[in-house]
Amino acid sequence: MKDASPRTLLHNLPVESYVVAFTVVLWLILAVTAPNFLTGDNISNMMRQVSISGIIAIGVLCTIIIAGIDLSVGSVAAFCGVLVAQLLSHGLDVPLAIVLTLAAGILIGALNALSVGKLGIPAFIVTLAGLQVYRGLALLISGGMTVGGLPPGIKEFARGSLFHIPNLFLTLLAVAIIVHYFLSFTRTGRYLYALGSNSEATRRLGIPVFRITLIAYVLCSGLATLAGILLVSRLSVASPSMGNAYELQAIAAVVVGGASLFGGRGTVLGTVAGAILFTTMSNGAVLLDVDPFWEMVLEGLLIALVVYLDNLQKKRLSGV
Amino acid sequence: MFRKFALAASVTAFPLLLATAAQAQDTVSVIVKATTSEYWQWVFKGAEQAGKDLNLTIEELGSPKDDAAAQISILESAAGKKPAAIVISPTIYEALGDPIAAVTAAGTPVIVIDSGAKTDQYAAFLTTNNETGGRAAADAMAQCIKERTGKAAGKVAFLTAMAGHESLDSRDKGFKDGLAAYPELTLVGNRVANNEEAEGMSLTADMLTKDSDLVGLFADNAQMGTGAGTAISEKSLGDKFCLVAFDSDKGEVEHLNDGSIYALVIQDPFMMGYAGVWYGYAAAHGVRLPRLVDTGVGVVTKANMNDPAFAGLLDVTKRSLSPFTGK
Repeated sequence: MKDASPRTLLHNLPVESYVVAFTVVLWLILAVTAPNFLTGDNISNMMRQVSISGIIAIGVLCTIIIAGIDLSVGSVAAFCGVLVAQLLSHGLDVPLAIVLTLAAGILIGALNALSVGKLGIPAFIVTLAGLQVYRGLALLISGGMTVGGLPPGIKEFARGSLFHIPNLFLTLLAVAIIVHYFLSFTRTGRYLYALGSNSEATRRLGIPVFRITLIAYVLCSGLATLAGILLVSRLSVASPSMGNAYELQAIAAVVVGGASLFGGRGTVLGTVAGAILFTTMSNGAVLLDVDPFWEMVLEGLLIALVVYLDNLQKKRLSGV
Repeated sequence: MFRKFALAASVTAFPLLLATAAQAQDTVSVIVKATTSEYWQWVFKGAEQAGKDLNLTIEELGSPKDDAAAQISILESAAGKKPAAIVISPTIYEALGDPIAAVTAAGTPVIVIDSGAKTDQYAAFLTTNNETGGRAAADAMAQCIKERTGKAAGKVAFLTAMAGHESLDSRDKGFKDGLAAYPELTLVGNRVANNEEAEGMSLTADMLTKDSDLVGLFADNAQMGTGAGTAISEKSLGDKFCLVAFDSDKGEVEHLNDGSIYALVIQDPFMMGYAGVWYGYAAAHGVRLPRLVDTGVGVVTKANMNDPAFAGLLDVTKRSLSPFTGK
């Protein structure tokens, strides 16, 4: 019993402990070694930098929880970013353009859910196709060119802040709180975990499996669309090349944040912490002047290490 | 400044071709590095114009992102259709050498544009001297710093769009070589982005955090220029900082206009596409071509951006080819 108590403690560690611990340690190291790290300017920079990738990662988390995946998020962000820019440059009002673009994003999510849930095509394949299709559509509707000439109001959002907290980061916080509440405190949200843990049992319990799938993919594409609109606000132009490889960054943040690619496991807090960890690493690499090629190697090793530690804990959980 | 005259002379030397072109719809395939970049769309626009002038069908090809393996497959399938000529911009110097030589050996003339390939089996090579462009960027940056602070001194850095690309490496090398002429400018950093605007923006903000006394930055392509320009404009540093970027897309031109970018080093992609097709067609009809043509680089600042000579180079829709075709 005596030496069982530290074990029990390990058993009860929440899934996001490792990523939070790593992030805190990295922050402490950088606070000591990089003189400009803990400055108001740098922290507000990092808040802006993490926001868009964090929002996309929260969306991808929803699909990973149901044992799915969404590889199309980077392309969807680019397509919807170009779409909103095209609508705006053709003189549509900002709110109308945003609503139409979000509707397009939701439609994309619904199509993904239909292909996965009704046609039975694996999510990996459906969204891999989407990765190509929406990048292609982004190129088509922009003619391969950068779309500029946007109304000044669109830039102001990404540049603005409220009580010194950037609007972009406030958006991430709002998304995180809403999705966290949904996943943890609503019945439908809990069904996402159930579906990811055991789809057959979930089906037999009479839980509307397709509706859950639909919610997960619509949330994911919807958030990628929101991220695309924010990206346009941040860059003040839309380019068909933006959002490149964001799907991989998002999956890395989700997995480092303690989610399982086999479904049923993962939290918003862990995912946001994962996104913060990667943003901190790339910020720290510049501040400490780490060779950019080493930075890539270190980021890759970090993913492997955190997931390894996390798996060790999972093994303990399944009873050693 | 732009060496258009050499091109003009060789292009106007083939008036007879127009007559023969009118009879049959020959095809010229144009293969670019990446269709997602505005730069390559300008190459296509130039090629389309040449297609119209010569009554040719232009096949526009390329993978969305720089991808050598995909480009080799595209080249091979394009060559299989036996077009009159192929115009290609090789993604990777070493990788495209042998495939280009094979197409030439099979009897289809190949015009290489923009970046080189490891072979001498091509009909002509139309390119920007990227090293010259990099040196021009260093000179423009030094001039800007001198204008703003009184002397060309301080910390500078550069932002590379992608690792291991011949044309980007040459620009960076030219920039570093060019800096050598200004001993009081010290190079303090280099970051490599994923050829993505938002990442270029983040890296620029982080470099400014690391060295708050940074006075200049060189961004080596349009994506990096747009990203870095947005970071400078967000911090309202335009009148203090000296950002020089390569190429021109809408984002870069907006930042040149609002003062966040001091100068753009511009190439002539339209001409590479236009002359590439002309050369390809000429080669298909046995015309001997110059092996190497430099399409030139120019430096545009806010002060001279409204100069009519730059209009078509900053915005392809305003491009007129009057010196070449009399239109």
